[in-house]
Amino acid sequence: MRVLALETSCDDTCAAVVDGDGRIQANVISSQEVHDRFGGVVPEIASRHHLELVNLVVDQALADAGVALEEIDLVAATQGPGLVGALLVGLSTAKALAAARELPFAAVDHIQGHVAANFLAGEGGEPAFEPPFLCLIASGGHTLLTHVGEPGRFTVLGRTLDDAAGEAFDKGARMLGLGYPGGAALEQLAAGGDPEAFSFPGSRRDRLQGGRGPGRQAFANSLDFSFAGLKTALLYRLREMPEAQVRERAADLAASYQAAIVESLILRAEQALERTDATRLAVGGGVAANGELRRRLGALAATVHVPPRELCTDNAAMIASAALHGEHLPYPAYLGLDAYATGEGSP
Amino acid sequence: MIVLGFDTATRATAVALMLDGGEMLRARDDPGPDEHPGHATRLLTMAGELLATAGVGWRGVERIAVGLGPGTFTGLRVGVATARGLAQSLSSELVGVSSSLALATAAAGTPDAEWAGPHEGRVLALIDARRGEVFAAAYAASGSHSASEIVPPRAIAPDRLGSLIGLAEQHGAGAGGWLAVGDGAVRYRGQIEAVDLTIPDDSSRLHLVDAGTICELALGERPVTAYEQILPDYRRRPDAELALESVAARGGDGS
Ligand SMILES: [Zn+2]
Repeated sequence: MRVLALETSCDDTCAAVVDGDGRIQANVISSQEVHDRFGGVVPEIASRHHLELVNLVVDQALADAGVALEEIDLVAATQGPGLVGALLVGLSTAKALAAARELPFAAVDHIQGHVAANFLAGEGGEPAFEPPFLCLIASGGHTLLTHVGEPGRFTVLGRTLDDAAGEAFDKGARMLGLGYPGGAALEQLAAGGDPEAFSFPGSRRDRLQGGRGPGRQAFANSLDFSFAGLKTALLYRLREMPEAQVRERAADLAASYQAAIVESLILRAEQALERTDATRLAVGGGVAANGELRRRLGALAATVHVPPRELCTDNAAMIASAALHGEHLPYPAYLGLDAYATGEGSP
Repeated sequence: MIVLGFDTATRATAVALMLDGGEMLRARDDPGPDEHPGHATRLLTMAGELLATAGVGWRGVERIAVGLGPGTFTGLRVGVATARGLAQSLSSELVGVSSSLALATAAAGTPDAEWAGPHEGRVLALIDARRGEVFAAAYAASGSHSASEIVPPRAIAPDRLGSLIGLAEQHGAGAGGWLAVGDGAVRYRGQIEAVDLTIPDDSSRLHLVDAGTICELALGERPVTAYEQILPDYRRRPDAELALESVAARGGDGS
């Protein structure tokens, strides 16, 4: 079994070839570095770039894997959630590639893809991370906590009620004048700062002094995330500080802001581990690259698995992995598949 | 030559299969006003059905022909991505055809029940561009089922069609009356009829991009050598780019 998978849900044009044992034979990621000047991903521009690149990325993946299309047994693509116009480029291309050869097809949920990144065999041939486990997925597009009972299924335990964790990083970085996307720059700046210098919503200090409204209590009892208040708190803090002081304390601000995001993620992971009696935790999404998050994860009383960075951020190898464990539609059952923008769920 | 052609520039999805000897099989999906376009859901399904009806396997398709628009961006991308994916998988030839030219070609010299006799004048292809505009292009009918471009497609308000006609006439559009076809002509009939031209009945097939015509036009074209040479004919830049430029022009910093 050999899978060719495409992923175009946001601004990365990705294709991968993975074998039936979850070994990656090719994993091509073409990042569109054209959105920075807009301060965010522009759907129409992302869709245009996907279309320009998609066949070349497929050719590159096949070349990297050293295989021809004749040697592909299953084609897969992300069906959603994501930007519909962007998804449709990859989905239409993948359906056409499969239809012309009457190959079976797997339509993959993007979140299931992030979960399935953990099923891929490691570079050194080390075995994949097997269910059951909890999976924390935090990126610029999504933040959720899932329970993975078996490879093809997951249940959502908690999700963000507003911004995604990666979005909070990027927005904070922008407010601190670090450009877009600035998550990595914020982490760098934070390295020289005091994480307890400022109290932001979500931080340990804030939680100890926390209010007690009924809405707040319901949120506290849930495993959901919220980052909008944190972003607003940084905005107000910056407004009341003289410009010179902002410059002087930029590292402390960044460190405290980052600590609040990481604290929120770690708190929910801890609570979920307690409530489900799980002992294993996997992490996915671009935020998993954050060093402070990794450090805190390492201190949890659980076996923690963080895939390599290129498998945490959006990629097609994870889509191929999910396809291996998901439903395979025979030709022509998949020809009418459409993309979807929102909602995540196991099939 | 066996040609599979399709067009997704308008709300419709049109597919045709041209067999050796020129026999043409057609299928199309014209969604109602309250329905979503079926580009993603109907295109490959109808193509598969036409092939099955003709008893031709996918491997038998020698050339893929796709309408490049102008038209709806997402629809065009579904069509172009599908065409490129098929051509890549089949190692078949790939040709892009202007959807406006397909409209004009079908209208040129075609006797039509709703349209009074053969048309030998000039044709305006009007594809609904939304936002109160049409993608308008002007063609001279050069005999039966043949049209040559005088003014290439551009997005304009329907009440500016008079100046487009003026431009076409300056550039040698020849003599005769103007015939306006396309979903843009139907949608803006009220505004367009102020200009001296003829619009067939709303129900006329001349308003629909015909995938059979896409196949026929593709026969005369040289196939491209690389997939990325086939891109939608957008005729409009992304809003975000225009917004950024206008901010820059005003001297703002975009924040
Ligand atoms: Zn993602």
